[in-house]
Amino acid sequence: MVLLGAARWVRSRLTDRFWRRQEVLKHARHFRGRKNRCYKLAVRSVRRAFVRSTKARREKKKFLRALWITRIEAASLEHGLKYPAFISNLVKSQVELNRKMIADLAIYEPKTFKSLAALAQRRRQEGFLAALGDGKEPEGIFSRIVHHY
Amino acid sequence: VAKTSLSSPPWPEVKLPDPAEEAKHHAEVVQKVNELIAAGHYGRLFAVVHFASKQWKITSEDLIMMDNSLEAECGDRIRLEKVLLVGADDFTLVGRPLLGKELVRVEATVIEKTESWPKINMRFWKRHNYQRKNIIVHPQTVLRINTIDIFPCLV
Repeated sequence: MVLLGAARWVRSRLTDRFWRRQEVLKHARHFRGRKNRCYKLAVRSVRRAFVRSTKARREKKKFLRALWITRIEAASLEHGLKYPAFISNLVKSQVELNRKMIADLAIYEPKTFKSLAALAQRRRQEGFLAALGDGKEPEGIFSRIVHHY
Repeated sequence: VAKTSLSSPPWPEVKLPDPAEEAKHHAEVVQKVNELIAAGHYGRLFAVVHFASKQWKITSEDLIMMDNSLEAECGDRIRLEKVLLVGADDFTLVGRPLLGKELVRVEATVIEKTESWPKINMRFWKRHNYQRKNIIVHPQTVLRINTIDIFPCLV
């Protein structure tokens, strides 16, 4: 006779408690103090560690971008340009390198970075000239400038 | 016009060099670079390539790992087309924004297609009996960059 399940009066004990605890303790082995050995303390520490790692994955992107920007600023100041001028002029010249790439080029390819800084500087000067326009006074009555000399 | 604080712009006056001379200088530089490329007087080439929504700075014999899967099989040769910048020791070619396909050729081989290590996503609110644990395993691909070639067709 084959029984598909145990009868109601048969009771079982938890037999794999050790391995369930080891699954948590294995993530805590490199911690400091009793929380790398004792399960009750380890559960809390491991939970906080997981939550902090999930949040840190989002912060890492912000942190790395700030790091790249700092590096680009330092490198462009060596060539006499400030960071906003450098980046805005590069974008206006249709060079679509992102900050990670420009920071890597500034570290490992200094000559290339110097040429990019020169490109941005030249585009900046052309922008200044374009902003000045013809140098003539505007026409019209209300926009006419009165000369007192 | 009388000199006031607003009569002249706040930036120092700018003088651009003569356009005719500049055009001559540019043509000379382009010709020199073309000769260098044609003669092959460059060492190791590096390229900035836009691939898998990221930009990579690569040379030959480089390994690249992407956090997604490609439709190619292991051992397939792939050409990376969106090249933003190519450089050697003496010259750099900057694309605006991309360089032409007849100018640069970057070849790579798919080496490995694996899964990432199991990343744990956990949310926990204290004193609310709320915790969720999610284990994410996403596919990864490893490419080896074989060659970067440039051809002397600068204008």
